[in-house]
Amino acid sequence: MKGLREQFADTMLRIGQQDESLVVMVGDISHGILQPFAKACPGRFFNIGILEPSMVSMAAGFAKQGLVPVTHTIAPFLIERSFEQLKLDFGYQALAGNFISVGGAFDYAQLGCSHHCYTDVSLLAHLPGSQVFCPGSAVELDVLFSSQYRANAINYFRLTENPHGVEFAPESIKPGKIISAREGQDVTIIALGPQLKNALSAATSLSARGIEAEVLYVHTFKPFDAAAVVDSLTKTRRIVVVEELSAQDGLYNAVLRAWDGRGRMLSRQLAINEFIHGYGSYEDLCERSGLSAGHIEQAAAELVSHEVD
Amino acid sequence: MLNKALRRRIVEIVTKAKEGHIPSSFSIVDLIDHIYGNLLRFDPQNPDWQERDQFILSKGHGCAGLYVVLEKYGLLSADQLASYSMTGGILGGHPDRTTVPFVEASTGSLGHGFPFSVGIALANKIKQLPGRVITLVGDGECHEGTIWESAHVAANQKLDNLTVVVDWNQSGAQLCPVDDLPAKWRAFGWQTHVFNGHDAAEIEAAFALVGKADGPLALVAKNIKGHGAKLTEGHGRWHHRIPDEQEYQELMEALS
Repeated sequence: MKGLREQFADTMLRIGQQDESLVVMVGDISHGILQPFAKACPGRFFNIGILEPSMVSMAAGFAKQGLVPVTHTIAPFLIERSFEQLKLDFGYQALAGNFISVGGAFDYAQLGCSHHCYTDVSLLAHLPGSQVFCPGSAVELDVLFSSQYRANAINYFRLTENPHGVEFAPESIKPGKIISAREGQDVTIIALGPQLKNALSAATSLSARGIEAEVLYVHTFKPFDAAAVVDSLTKTRRIVVVEELSAQDGLYNAVLRAWDGRGRMLSRQLAINEFIHGYGSYEDLCERSGLSAGHIEQAAAELVSHEVD
Repeated sequence: MLNKALRRRIVEIVTKAKEGHIPSSFSIVDLIDHIYGNLLRFDPQNPDWQERDQFILSKGHGCAGLYVVLEKYGLLSADQLASYSMTGGILGGHPDRTTVPFVEASTGSLGHGFPFSVGIALANKIKQLPGRVITLVGDGECHEGTIWESAHVAANQKLDNLTVVVDWNQSGAQLCPVDDLPAKWRAFGWQTHVFNGHDAAEIEAAFALVGKADGPLALVAKNIKGHGAKLTEGHGRWHHRIPDEQEYQELMEALS
């Protein structure tokens, strides 16, 4: 299955050949796979240096002059280190651009916490005029980027190194719309990006126990599809939220805001609660953080064991 | 002294609004006046003319000095300056490009306007636009790492359409006295020229260098913070002070 970073390079090449305004800047990553773009679009590719905040400010200068900037590097440096540049040079100045990260959450598991990033999605969501995408497959990235890269917005695409493995038809992927990945009536499991894989695995196990879980898949964090959450919760009144984000501010908050004022329901959040000091594989850190199929199954079964009213 | 009238105007609007940085504005107003009066190519009827030169005030807290120059050249009205820093007005204590025509960047947090300018200059190269970019930074602002990150990029990209004007008024030296700014800009690959930023002939000679370097140009202005009145000169309590009635009269007399 095609990786998202590989798709990123292919999408840049395809769009770059059609749109002379597209300019790509990277902070000394992915320059090898972007060579086809660099060769096909001379003068519009810059491996600009290891200076992420300045790279973001420069991208704002590109945007002011009518170019469509694409800025790419590792999530903690592109978003957390450069947040004031994103906030002021793009947000406050009302300029549009595209930001493509790798290494969100703990994708760089063995490199340790300096290369982890748990707050990128919520930070970008705070900015007026931002759109936040967490595609979990190559086709999602291609569809979402192609349709949105010229939107008058701050577009953030968090590319996972761990695709969920589900092949959605391109026509089923719509910006700002949740995909119903499985129907059920006992409990809702809502998963962001790569965690769809664990959510579907948990739903299969729950079904064997006589619990039918509805699985909602979120590739667009902002704008958030509140209506889809309300529809599902109206039916199940129970929801497990699975997100590779800081537990302080993310998908769980979006779900609660969607349901606000609509009556009693039961909820559980599976998210990242603190800095992860250990090492291991991505799967190891998922397990340690409670972001596994087993944890989801357990949380959903527990919700189903309680009466809602 | 150059530009007494502009300095009086700065004192007027700051005193009325009870907001503004008078010494910082006095330090740079002679330079901004020369830039708008003699250097920039722009269309007063069309702020968005694609081929225009752009001036970016990276040290945004000196914006009273920019506003009075824009008024002098008919780009802002007296009414607009009358509502400076007031509800309903478009002019604030830092400039906002989304509300003010001919203000090219919303600045305030130091270290943003300069890398933004590098992006504009590089974009003009990509789009083969003739516009030049003139950016004014403070010497204290040169403590920010983004200044040197992007100075490095500008030299490597050979941005001969970019000029930085450094307001070298020794504000930064209060904190870090070991600071040879011209040597730093030279070390980063910029052609560098040091001049007296309050002397008409030296200002003219300095800006005559714009467009003649084969890479980015740094014009380092030896300025005096608060230049124009003994009361405001130097570093200290006047940085963000609003004149009281007696001080207002004293300043106006010194600038008459």
